[in-house]
This record gives sequence, structure tokens and C-alpha cells, in this order.
Amino acid sequence: MASNQFILASPPTDAISALKFSPDPNSTRIAVSSWDKNVYIYELRDENGNVGEGKLIQKFEHRAPVLDVCFGATEDEIYTAGLDWDVRKIDVATSSQTVLSSHEAGVRSVVYSKEHQLVVSASWDSTLHVHRIDAPGSIPSIIPLPSKPFSMSLTATKLVIAMASRALHIYDLKALSLLTAQLDGTTPNKVEVEPWQRRESSLKFMTRCVACMPDDAGYASSSIEGRVAVEWFDPSAESQARKYAFKCHRQTADDVDVVYPVNTLSFHPVHGTFASGGGDGVVALWDGIAKRRIRQYQKYPSSVAAVDFSSNGKYLAIAVSPGFEDGKEDMVEGAVSIYVRELGETEAKGKGAK
Amino acid sequence: MGKKRRGPTLEELLARPWCYYCERDFDDLKILISHQKAKHFKCERCGRRLNTAGGLSVHMSQVHKEQLSAVDNALPNRSSLEVEIFGMEGVPDDIIQTHNQRVVTQFHQAEAERQAQTGNPPAGSGVGGQPAKRPKLENVSDLKKRLAEHKAKKAEARTDGSSGEATPVGAGQTSTFGQSPTTATSNLQHTYPQPYGGAGSPYQQTASPVYQNFSPGGQSQFPPSAQFTPSGYSPQSFQGTPGQPMPAYGTPPPFPQQQQQQPTPQTQTPPQNPAFPQRSGSLPAAPGLPQRPAVGAPQVNAYQLQQMHMGHPAPATGTPTGVTNGDKPPGAENAPISSSVDDLISGAAKAADQAAAHVAPPKAAESTEEKPSKKDKSKQSRLVYSDNETSPEEKMARLSRYAFVPNPLGETVLEAQPPAAVTGAERGPDTVFDATD
Repeated sequence: MASNQFILASPPTDAISALKFSPDPNSTRIAVSSWDKNVYIYELRDENGNVGEGKLIQKFEHRAPVLDVCFGATEDEIYTAGLDWDVRKIDVATSSQTVLSSHEAGVRSVVYSKEHQLVVSASWDSTLHVHRIDAPGSIPSIIPLPSKPFSMSLTATKLVIAMASRALHIYDLKALSLLTAQLDGTTPNKVEVEPWQRRESSLKFMTRCVACMPDDAGYASSSIEGRVAVEWFDPSAESQARKYAFKCHRQTADDVDVVYPVNTLSFHPVHGTFASGGGDGVVALWDGIAKRRIRQYQKYPSSVAAVDFSSNGKYLAIAVSPGFEDGKEDMVEGAVSIYVRELGETEAKGKGAK
Repeated sequence: MGKKRRGPTLEELLARPWCYYCERDFDDLKILISHQKAKHFKCERCGRRLNTAGGLSVHMSQVHKEQLSAVDNALPNRSSLEVEIFGMEGVPDDIIQTHNQRVVTQFHQAEAERQAQTGNPPAGSGVGGQPAKRPKLENVSDLKKRLAEHKAKKAEARTDGSSGEATPVGAGQTSTFGQSPTTATSNLQHTYPQPYGGAGSPYQQTASPVYQNFSPGGQSQFPPSAQFTPSGYSPQSFQGTPGQPMPAYGTPPPFPQQQQQQPTPQTQTPPQNPAFPQRSGSLPAAPGLPQRPAVGAPQVNAYQLQQMHMGHPAPATGTPTGVTNGDKPPGAENAPISSSVDDLISGAAKAADQAAAHVAPPKAAESTEEKPSKKDKSKQSRLVYSDNETSPEEKMARLSRYAFVPNPLGETVLEAQPPAAVTGAERGPDTVFDATD
């Protein structure tokens, strides 16, 4: 392996569901949620501030497997969502856990909006819970969705939710924020909110992941059928004409094209390029504007469950864990590990259109 | 004046040097080598052009202290550093053979197409002493098959323009590369609305019931990708119409509304000339195809057809089966013009249920029909995970070791607990709990 990549010590003991870098500038803290019911906090820097092996600094046990994690206002505040139907807030410094709300099924994802002080959770009970963080103790607003949500991502102004049946909703966060503030006070606030945009996925198969562009211009989505689509928010015809999709994460074996799911997408916060991780264990970097692949890394030992860039764009963390495949009752065997790549100055930079 | 050249001969095509990494071919070896140096063996740090991938790897590790993991701009399965390539040297034999085969196939396809368009004999046949009629002695079905394949490919290329061709790597350079399972039917794009049952076809704007009032942004900008096959749909959206989508394969593209009654006989006796140019692009144009036996859809009786064309009164020649539907609820009759989406859906579902009840035998024929149509593709693909409704996470959540039984007395905020939670608490610890209930 190349010297600019290392493996984090003490990885989770079961498959990884999500991995996030702290949004704080220059922070090297990573939160990882796992099917072993724990959320792990790693720090890449040692006491002297050098980035080395990386170490586990804390671990929070949950009642059930944890499906998603995100950082809150500071990197000492995390939110988790899991199969115990709960959305939790965890204070890393004091290790105190608070349940913000409970869904009626497993909670697939949770995101935090710094700009609007909102925590939004999406559950397989086909609802969103919108929690106002600036009003502690307030009751979350419940927004029904047409289908089960599979992935969620936000920008400063928009919230994108990909659901079953290829449905995709884009909510305006400001509207959500105003609405929830208005409704606050009564018992479970069930509110029908018309999304800012309803879209149908441009991919023909189940959406696996959505990730928003850091410049708030659009988003990328991936499907179980080895394809990634890049689209723009702007509903004008010119912007919509720019959208496209491409095939990736495929391998030819015995003349059969083996198509892997694209499990994860993450945008580079500085260059606006993005990384994709697939069931084939491959991580590739793409330039979404120039429509080019920047590079593809050597295959990892098993499926790539999550990728994320650090906030300064200097590190790429890659969560490798066994994936669920067709025709198997259980997950395939495979090691669970977290790789961190130190990126060169231009490693994730687009080459520009040629 | 000599004969006009009609393009390169097969031998010339085969002799062209081509790039192992991207399958592009070149006029001569020098250009190929400079292409490889510029596209595949160029150091992106300092722009230096090396002669081979190995050379670039050594350069990267020595000069930039980095490790090269894959050859740039290469097709996904060709990006390995293992193979030492310089120009045409070092290309593995099997890959050369595959390439040559592809060149030959493409050549023949192009030739067959040219013959079909111009009616001219193949190049050289007039000179070589062979009678000009030789192509006619050739197996007609072979020719038809090739033509159909080519057309399918062309239609596919059109479809891929939206999704496949934009692959940043240029992986789509050869059209035989990596076709998705759905593209086999992509040339049937005219039949797209059919999965929604009778309600769909002429009223395309309501084809997607869920998103009927869908915003400006989406599919209209993207017509090719908006068409998809039944496999892409959720069962909810078409499970009520099992008898409908498949017969659609055999029928010609939906006719303009006014002609709806008329096409019935045409469906069963399509024109036998597959090279008929006006019909290019639509697969049903070659119904004589040996591997699509069910294509003619002979089982489609007038009633079904009527159902497919949304329950308009059967023609005077209506079959007895249609008569039993005299008491059909008016909702089904009026479905297409109903303004309510719900009516539309339920009407379509009803119609489809009725159709399904009448059409059990054709359904069996449909399932066999599907296979040959898949074989038409030059390459198969297999999804590692193909469940389009349930995410891997949900499946994992159903495994017993991840089972979680929520405790209604826990630190929950919601006052009203769902009944499911109450019953859930009574379950034994070994019960596999279905989290998606």
C-alpha cells in the first residue's frame, strides 16, 4: 500500500453504516456509526498535532445498530440515528445522551443544518422529523414522505431526500425552519409540507446515496446499478439540460458485466469534485463539471460503505466493510476497516475540461 | 474512372493499430504511440510523458513519491499496471482477438446496413466473379438478426446518450461495453407508458401517477432516460397490471388515438420485409426474428388490445371474451379522460385485473418471451444487488442478530406510541423483528 494511506486502529467490530469528518476547519475528527451498536469517535492527530495512526477517543453504545451519525454545532456534539427508532444527541465531552424523538421504524439518516439550527432525521416509517436545536425540548415536526427514505443530504439552503420508488424530494430549509418555528408548542406536529421540488430519480434503479455539491448548485445520486447521476437544483431548462449520468463500479468477469451498487458519494469541500465508493471495493474520484474521472484507487478488500473528505479537503476517509449481496441470506464475510488517505495538493482537483 | 471506394476494407480495418487502454484506433503506429504517451502515460504532476505505464509508475514513485494505482483515461477493465504496453506491443492475445472480432462484427454490421440502405451488392462481390445475388443466398434470418441487432444498438446508443455516454472515462467508446439489463428493451421506448396499463398510452402526461404534478425540472428535459422498463418500477405502481406490459412488446408502437381500432390485424401480420427503411429504429419491425417467437403476440385478442388501448369499445369484430365485460364499471371505461389520478390508477388496475383474468395463457408466453430478448444483447450484466424495493440496510435490519424490540417505556418523547411498538414489546427476544413494518 502506498505510504500516504493508513488504517485506523481499533475499528468497529461489525459493518460500518456511516462515516463523517468533523465540519470544523482543519479538524481531523471522525465519527463512525456501526452495526455493532456503537458510535466511534476517532482523532487522526496525536498529542503533538501530527497526523499518524489515528486513535479511538470515544465510543458510545446504543440499544440497536446505528445507521447514521452527523456532527452538530461543534465537533463535541453528534447526532445519531439507528434501528432503535430513536434520534439521539450525544455530547462527546460529557458522554450524555439525549433522545430527541422516536420514529415508528428504524431511522435511516440524520443531518444537521448549521445555518438553520435544525436536525432532520429520516426514517423507514416514511417520515421526516425536524428538530429545532435552538429551542431545546421542543417537539419535532413530523413531515410525511411518499416512500421510505434511503439517503439524505443538505446544503446551506436545501435538503435532498432520496426515497424508494425512485422518488426524490428537495426541501427548502428556510421554509422548513419557518414552518417548524410556527408550529412549535402543540403535541406531535404532523405537517404536510410541499417540497420545493419533487423529482423522479434520473437513474432507473434504487437510489443508494445522494450528496449535495458544496457550492449549493446541485447534487449527485447513485444507484444499486453501478451508475451515478449529477443534477442541478436550478429548475431552468438550461440547468436541467446539464444533468447527466454515467456508469461506474462495474467489472467484467467471464463476459458478464458485474454491476455493483454505488454505496456512497462525497463531495470535496474545496475542489467540488466527488468521490464514489462501490460494492466492488473501489473508490474513484470524479470531476463532475468536466465529466472526467480524476483517479481510481486500488481496490479495497471489501465493499466500500462510506467515504468522506475532511473539511479542509486534505484527507479522505474510506470505510470498508462487507456488503449485502444478492442471493445471500447474510452479509458476505469481510474485514471491517477504516482507511484514511492523505491527499496530495492536486490529487482531488479536477484537471479542467480538455 | 474507377469504382468509387466505399470505405476501408475489412483487412484495412483489422490492420489499424489501436490503443489497448481505450480501444481507440489510429491511422498509424506513431500516432498511437503519441496518443498513449499523451493520454495514458503522462505524469499529471509534471506533465512528463513516459513510454510505458511501468515507466510512469517508476517516475511517480521516484520523482513524486507517489504510487500509481491505475492507468489514466483507461477503460475500467484495462487500467491495470500489470500489462506492459507500448504501441501495439504487449497486448494480450485474447484481447487482440476480442478486438478483431469486434472490428469484424462492426464491419459486417455496417456493410449489412449499407446494403439495406443502398441495395448495392457488398464490396468486391461484383469483381470477384461471384454472382451479385450472393447475399440473397445468405441465410435471411441471419441477415435480419444482424440488422435488428444493429438497430437495437443504434436505439440504445440514442438512449445512452443521456445516461451512458457521458461516462467521464469514455467507457462507452465501444457500444458493446457494459450494457445494463434494461437497455435490451430500450428500443421499445414507444411502449413505455404501457406498464401503467390501459390508462397510459396516448395520455403520456399522466404516465407517472405519483408525480403527475411534477415540477418543471425533471423528466421532460431528459426524455430518453425517462423511459424505462417494468423492472425499474416499484411493484406498487404496476402490480395491478400484470397482463399489460408484456403484450406491449409485441405490438407496434402505440398508434395515434384515431387509429386505435384499426391496427389489430396489422399486429398479427406485420410486413415481412425487415429492411424496410421507414421502420428503422423500432424493434417490432423485424417480427420474423427467430429468437423472438412470441413477438407477434398472436394471443392478443381484440379484447386485450382494447384494454391496452384503454377500454375503448371493441371493434365490430370483437371476440366473445369482450362481451363478458359489458357490465364493466364505467370508471374503467372513462379512466383515460378522468381528471383524477386516483380514478386513473384504480381504473387501470381494474381493467388490468380483468384483462389478467382473461389472459392467463398469454402470460405464460410472455415469460418465455423475455429470455430471448435478453439474449439479443452482446453482453449480459449481473447486478450484485438487484432488489429495487428494499435497501441492503433494511435487509440487514431483518437479520436476527440486529433485531431490536423497542421498549415503549423508554425515554421516548412521543406520547402516543404506535400499536406496533406495543405488540413489539411482547415478542420474544429471539423473534426476528421486521423493522420496516
